[in-house]
Amino acid sequence: MIQEIFNIIVYPGLLFTVVLSLVYSGILRKLAARMQSRIGPPVWQPFLDIIKLFGKEEITPEQAKPGFGFWPFVAFASILIAALLTPVAGMVSLDSGNFIVLIYFLVFSPACLYLAGLASSNPYAVVGSIRGLVQMFSYEIIFVVSLVVPMLFVNSLEPLVINNYQLGSGWIASSFPLAAAAFLVAVLAKLELPPFHTPEAHQEIVSGYYTEYSGFRLALIEMTHIVKIFVLLSLAVAVFFGGSGDPLIFIIKTLALLILLSVIRVVLARFRIDHVLKFCWILGVIALIDLIRVLMV
Amino acid sequence: MSREVKGYTLPVGPQHPLYVEAENLMVTVDGETITNVEVNIGYIHRGIEELMQRRNYLQNIFLSERICGICSGIHSVTYCQMVENLLGIDIPDRAKFIRTIVLELERLHSHLLFLGIMGYEMGLDTLFMYAWKDREHVMDMLEKISGNRVNYAMPAIGGVRRDIKNPESFIRKLELLSKRSDYYLNLFKKDRVIRARTRGVGVLTHKKAREYGIVGPVARASGIVHDMRKNSPYAAYEFSGLQGRWRVVTEGYGDVQARVLVKIRELKEAVRILKYALLNMPKGQLKVAAPLAVKPAEAVSRTEAPRGELIYYGISNGSDTPERIRIRTPSYTNIMCLKPILEGQQLADLPVIVGSIDPCFSCTDRVTLVEERTGEQKTVDKNYFRRMRE
Repeated sequence: MIQEIFNIIVYPGLLFTVVLSLVYSGILRKLAARMQSRIGPPVWQPFLDIIKLFGKEEITPEQAKPGFGFWPFVAFASILIAALLTPVAGMVSLDSGNFIVLIYFLVFSPACLYLAGLASSNPYAVVGSIRGLVQMFSYEIIFVVSLVVPMLFVNSLEPLVINNYQLGSGWIASSFPLAAAAFLVAVLAKLELPPFHTPEAHQEIVSGYYTEYSGFRLALIEMTHIVKIFVLLSLAVAVFFGGSGDPLIFIIKTLALLILLSVIRVVLARFRIDHVLKFCWILGVIALIDLIRVLMV
Repeated sequence: MSREVKGYTLPVGPQHPLYVEAENLMVTVDGETITNVEVNIGYIHRGIEELMQRRNYLQNIFLSERICGICSGIHSVTYCQMVENLLGIDIPDRAKFIRTIVLELERLHSHLLFLGIMGYEMGLDTLFMYAWKDREHVMDMLEKISGNRVNYAMPAIGGVRRDIKNPESFIRKLELLSKRSDYYLNLFKKDRVIRARTRGVGVLTHKKAREYGIVGPVARASGIVHDMRKNSPYAAYEFSGLQGRWRVVTEGYGDVQARVLVKIRELKEAVRILKYALLNMPKGQLKVAAPLAVKPAEAVSRTEAPRGELIYYGISNGSDTPERIRIRTPSYTNIMCLKPILEGQQLADLPVIVGSIDPCFSCTDRVTLVEERTGEQKTVDKNYFRRMRE
């Protein structure tokens, strides 16, 4: 009992996830800065940002619809639950879920943020939310299609089983490279990193769906993004990139993926929303090839 | 507008991350498609022309320099040329070359700044960082020449204020910049995401460009061969040795890509001009004496600013202050074409298109006000500003 509570709250649960996510986000920023030949903020900058935001005054627009204050909490809570369901270093904090629940929570969290944008009645936020929802149509499909491949291959709905399977018999990414590549692109899109940062296109629609947010709730939205980076990276390691048995291997593998993400983030310009759709549908077809292969095995 | 418009209206500006300066575009959007655009300018009107009529000719050099932060050099040079035309004096050859060098360096930094802004508008911050890093070389050169990074205070009426020492020392950096512009040219031609964002976007046809009287690189991107440096040469462009070193860059398609390519290729032309001018500066004095008071006369001075044709028109009345000065800046004419090229485009392309015009608002805002509701135009007289001051 005490062991389970420790798992949920400290390691590999909430505390570990939140602290490591903040560090990862800092590393992502630092790497991008170095690649853009500037110095960049220190790695612990996200901690300072979040602490600062928690202490800031919060402003609710007069015309905000009900739910404006509510959705960020739900979004953050659901990404935390998704974090608990994801295998971290060969452990799952909450062992009562499976892939289906995980996928639901991963979709639910950004959906809540887009609802928050719609509730704030700001034209920029509304455009941002609509873009986000349109983008979800494109990448969620490849995300699910590519995730189904390891599930069918190992014949299990438990992320941990797939993780442990790979420890014994090699990377799934090596037998299904197309699905793994499609999965990584979907991760990039889910994180709204460039070139998929259309919903928060700063130059067109200010901050997109979270334009109206400030203070504590903005901190929650930022935290949702930051934890999502960590969740999706650990999921990628668990289902495609060989899994992980001990924390060191886990951190090395996730960091390698993080470097890959930051390189992509630095070299690509922003897609237009129609480019996103076209690109993702082509990738969907590529991921389907691997799905058909796994069905024929 | 009497036409009924669907969708909702997004205010782009006066405070918006798209601009550094304050201007307003009322963009009506139907889904993601722009159906109507209203260009509202005038937020940073400073009454410069009126101020000029209250200061003497020498003070006005520094005032004209402060019209625009990016093209500060060209404004003061054009102003000085206008006064020299009023006086009917000719300046020494060395001064002409020094002016040209400063102007071309300014063109380099302005175009590199534009390139960075284009990267930023496309969501490619790396390009922004790279271009602005290269721009620092130009800023260093300008600082070495004039002691300043922004307002160079180089021209004086009748010549220039400072000499350029060791002109050969700049060649190495210029060659580096030429190499970098090859890299950018390749980037904008080859990179697939950049191409998807720029090619065929915001097309300004040759016909429309003529209709709207578009000037500068925007016009040249639409296939109009128009460059004041060739059309009516001034400063060192008058010398055939320098004229033979470069040609006017044009592109045919008139889309965003064409506008960017024109500017990148102009970087290389500017490097060529600079190399020649730095190595072939004639010897001689820097300045001829000019009287403080100017006999009644009328004069015009036209130059090619980084953004297009810049016109100063002045009337003198025999005193040491001008009777009237009129300034026509390139952005003022170019910003008008935003309406035809934005309509029917995607909202996501708005920053890229607006950026590609390279608008410089602080020089745009002049004394003509347009009443938003009625469309009525009125010109503000002196008394209006007097009232405003009180």
